[in-house]
Amino acid sequence: MRAVRTTLRYAVLLAVLVIMVFPLLWMFRVSLLETGASISLFDVSNLDFTLQNYLDLFESDRMARFLFNSAFVGVAVTLGNILFCFMVAYTIARYRYIVNKMLFVTVILILMIPAHIIIIPLYVLMVRWGLYDTYWALILPWLVNPIGIFLVKQYIESIPPSMEEAARIDGAGEMAILFRVVMPLCRPALAVLAIQVFFTNWNSFLFPFILTQREGIRTIPVALALYQGHQAIDWQHLMAGSGIAVVPVLVLFVIMQRQIVAGITAGGIKQ
Amino acid sequence: MTMKTLFLTLMLLACASSIAGKTTLTWWQFWTDPSIKPVIAEMVAEFERNNPDIKIELTDLTWSNGHEKIVIAFGSQTGPDIVELGSDWIAEFAANNLLLDMGRHIEADSADFDGWAMATYNEKVFAHPWILGTRVLFANRRLLERADYDSTFVPLTFDQLKEAARKINELGEKKYGWGSNAPEKHRLYKKYMPFFWSFGAQVYSDDGKYCLLASDSAVLALTEYKELHDKYGYVANQRGIEDAFLDGNIGFILSGDWLLKRIELENRDISFLTTLMPGRQRPGRSFLGGEFLAVNGACEHPEAAMRFVQFITSPENQIRFCRANRSANPSSVKAQQDEYFQSNIHLRTFIQQMIFAKHPPVDPDWVYMEAAIEEAVESAVFGSGLPAQSLLEARKKIENVKSR
Amino acid sequence: MRWSKARALVLGLPWLLTFALFWLYPIVYSLIIGFTDKQLLSPERHWVGLDNYRSLLSDPAFIASLKNTFIFVVGTIPFTTVIALALALLVNREFRGRGVFRSGYFLPSITSMVVIALIFTNLYQRGGYIAYLASLAGLSVPEHGFLYSDSTALYSIMAMDVWMAVGYYMLIFLAGLKSIPGELYESAAVSGAGRIRQFFSITLPLLRPVGLFIVVINSIKSFQVFVEIFVMTKGKFDTSTMVYFIYETGLTTKFQFGYASAAAYILFVIIAVFAAAQFWLFRRKQVVW
Repeated sequence: MRAVRTTLRYAVLLAVLVIMVFPLLWMFRVSLLETGASISLFDVSNLDFTLQNYLDLFESDRMARFLFNSAFVGVAVTLGNILFCFMVAYTIARYRYIVNKMLFVTVILILMIPAHIIIIPLYVLMVRWGLYDTYWALILPWLVNPIGIFLVKQYIESIPPSMEEAARIDGAGEMAILFRVVMPLCRPALAVLAIQVFFTNWNSFLFPFILTQREGIRTIPVALALYQGHQAIDWQHLMAGSGIAVVPVLVLFVIMQRQIVAGITAGGIKQ
Repeated sequence: MTMKTLFLTLMLLACASSIAGKTTLTWWQFWTDPSIKPVIAEMVAEFERNNPDIKIELTDLTWSNGHEKIVIAFGSQTGPDIVELGSDWIAEFAANNLLLDMGRHIEADSADFDGWAMATYNEKVFAHPWILGTRVLFANRRLLERADYDSTFVPLTFDQLKEAARKINELGEKKYGWGSNAPEKHRLYKKYMPFFWSFGAQVYSDDGKYCLLASDSAVLALTEYKELHDKYGYVANQRGIEDAFLDGNIGFILSGDWLLKRIELENRDISFLTTLMPGRQRPGRSFLGGEFLAVNGACEHPEAAMRFVQFITSPENQIRFCRANRSANPSSVKAQQDEYFQSNIHLRTFIQQMIFAKHPPVDPDWVYMEAAIEEAVESAVFGSGLPAQSLLEARKKIENVKSR
Repeated sequence: MRWSKARALVLGLPWLLTFALFWLYPIVYSLIIGFTDKQLLSPERHWVGLDNYRSLLSDPAFIASLKNTFIFVVGTIPFTTVIALALALLVNREFRGRGVFRSGYFLPSITSMVVIALIFTNLYQRGGYIAYLASLAGLSVPEHGFLYSDSTALYSIMAMDVWMAVGYYMLIFLAGLKSIPGELYESAAVSGAGRIRQFFSITLPLLRPVGLFIVVINSIKSFQVFVEIFVMTKGKFDTSTMVYFIYETGLTTKFQFGYASAAAYILFVIIAVFAAAQFWLFRRKQVVW
C-alpha cells in the first residue's frame, strides 16, 4: 500500500516536472544547435551539438562588463531590499498608527499604475537630477520595492507576536527585537524576497534601457536585445544567452531554498 | 539642494569641456548586431581621427524598443544631436519642429543620393538618406523544379505567380505556395502596398484632395492578395514565414535584404531566386523605405553634426556598411553602381527594384492612415469583411483623421 | 508612546523617501496629463477636462482591451492559485529528491518573460511541439497555429502565464506553510482530526495572510499583462489588453500620452476596486492567536 502511494506520488511529481521544464529543455537544445539549423520540430534523435553559440557570446570582452553591471546592480538592490523591505514591512505589520496605514496604502497604490505611464516622468526626473545614465538611476528607485514590503508584511502578520512580547518582558531593546528576534523568523519570506528581487533586476529591460545610454553601464538584458539584428532573431545565440542568464538566479535559488524550507523548525518557535 | 549643486557642477564641467575646444556630439543608432557593430565603431573612430575637435558619443538602440527611447528623449527636449530615423518617422518629428532643416547643408550633393522625397516635409528636407530598403520576391527553386518548372522560370505577372503558387501548394506534404503575413503592426500593410501600387491604386489623388483608398484597382489588389492567402498561404509573422521559407516549405515570399544576410550568415542550404515584384503587366511596384540620419533641431553644433552625417553617408562608408551588413540598397547613387552590388545577382535585383518602388506619403498622420489600411487588410484577409467594404471603412477613417 | 510613534516612522522612512523622491511626481504628473491632450512629441498641451475619459469609454479598441483583460484575470488567477497551493503541499513533505522537483517547478519563474514568450511563440506555431502533441492527442489545432486564431490566441497566452507563474506562488505558499507551528498539527492529531480536517481548519486559515498576498499581487500583475502580448501577438487576434492599449496609444505609433494616461487611471481604479474586494474577503474573521 505504502509502496503504491510512493510510486503514485513520484509519478505525479515527475509528470509535473516534465511539463515545467520541457520548454526550457527546448531552449537549451536550441542553444546547442548550429547557427541556421531549423528550430521547428527538429529531429529528437539528432544528437549533434555545438558549444559555439556560448563561445561567441563571450568572444567580446564587452560581455564581462555587462555581466559585472548586472551583478553589481542586482546585488546592491537585493541587499537594500532585504533590509528596507523588512523595516517597512515590520512597521506596517506591528504598529497601528494612521501613518502606517497610509504608508501601506501608498505601497499598494504604486503597484497599480502601469510602468509605461510612469517611465516618462521618471526619465525627466532622472535627467533633471543628473542621475540619468549613472548606476544610481538603476539602483536608487529600486532599493525598496512595494511587492517586497507587501510580501514580508503578510509574512510577519502570520507570525505570532508572542515571541516579541516574551523578548520585551525579558527587557530586550526594540532594535534587538527587530533584528535578533523577528528578522530570523522571517528568513523564509526574506529568502523569497531576495530571489524575486534579484531575478526581477537581473531580467529588467525597459527601465535600464530608457535610463542609460553609455555602453559601459548597460546590463545583460539590454545587451541580449542589442545582439538581435534587424528583422531577424538569432535563436541559437539568444537561447544561449538566456540560458546563461538563468544560471545565477538558479544558484541563488538553490542557496536560498534551505532558508525557505528551514523555516520555523530551525528558527525555533516554541510556544 | 545637493542635487542642484550636482547639476551646477555638471553644467560647469560641460562648459569647461567646450572651452577646451572639443565638441561632443551624441549619436543614437540601431545597428548593433555583431556583424555590423564593429564597422560602426570603426567609422566613428575614423571620423574622430579626421576631426580631432569633435568627439562622438555613440549609443546603441534596440530594434524592439529603440523608437520609444527616441520619442521619450525628444519629447522631453533631451534628444541626441544626431539620430537614426526610419523613413516613416520623419514626418512626425518634422511636423513638431524637432529636426534641423538640412536645406543649405546638402544643396551641393543632393543629386548624389536617392530617397530625399521620403525626408521632405513642407518642402524642407529634414533627414539625410542613409541605407534604403525595399522588398523583392523570393522563390524556392527546388520547389519550383518539383512543380515542373525549368530553371529559367521567373514569375513576371500576378497570374504566373498564382499559377506557380498553386502548383507548389499541390505538392502536398506541408508545402505552401505563398508566405502570408499574420497581422503584425507596420509589417502587414507593407505586404499589401506592393499589390496596391502594382494595380495602379493610389492613396491620394494627384492634387492631394481625395482619398482614393477604395478605388476599383485597390479593391482588385486586395482581392488578389486575399486569394493568395486563402488558397496557398502559410500564415505566420514575418520571422515565422522566413523561417518556414528557409526550411524549404514555402514557394514564394516577399522579403527584404535581411533575408539574404540570414541565408549567408546561417549558411542555409537553400536554392532560391530573387526577382522583381510581379505586376499585372511587368513590372510591379514594391515598397520603399529606409534608414535616415537626422540632426536635432536643438543641436548646438549643426555644422559639426552635418559633417558627421555626411561622413557616415559618404559613398565609401555606405559600401563599407552594406558589405558588413549585407544591405542591398545604399542611398548613394555612386555606391549603387559599385562592383560589389552589380556583381551579385541578388543584390542587383534589389538595386533594380528600387527604380520600381514607391514609398507612402510623407504625412504626420501617416501612422493613423497606415493603421486604417492595416485594419482593412486584416478584416478582409483574416476576418469576415469584404475587400471593398473594408477599404471603404479605411477611407472613412482616413477622411475623419484628415478633417480634424 | 511618543518614542514608539517616532520609531514606527523611522522604520518606514526608506519607503517614504523612495516614494516621495521617485514615485510621487510621476503619479501626479500622469494623473494631470490624463486631463490634457498631450502628445509625446509636441510641447503644447491643453486642458480638455474629462474628454479623454469620455472618448475612451466609447473607443472600441479600449473596450476590447478591457474585455480581454478581464478574461485574462478571471481565467488565470484561480488556476494559478490552486495549482501553486497543490504543488506547495506536494513538495512540502519530506521525501528524496524534493529539492530537484522544487527547483524544476520554480525554473520557469526565473526565466525572462521575453524569452519564455519567444519560446512559446515557437512551440505554439503550426508545426511547433505543442501543436504536434495536441494533434497526437486528437485535439483540433487551428489552421495557422494557436496564436493566429481569434478563438485560441488569448487562451494560449493565459495557459503559458499559468505555467510560468505557478512556481513563484508555490514558493510563497511554501514559505507560508513554514510559518505554521508544527505543534498545532500535533495537538490536532491528538484530538483526532484527520489530514483533511487539519488542512481546512489549520492550514488554510493560517495561510490567509500569504494567500491574500498571492491573490492581490497576481491580480495586479494579470491586470497589467503586457510583455506576453507585446512579444507574441502585438495585440492582434483579439488579445489586446489594457496595458498593451496604453503602450500602443501612448508610447509607440500614436503618442497620445494624455489619452493613454487617462486609460492608465481607469485601469488603476479597476485594480483598486478589485484589490479592495480581495482585502475585504480575506479580512481576519477571528483572532487566530
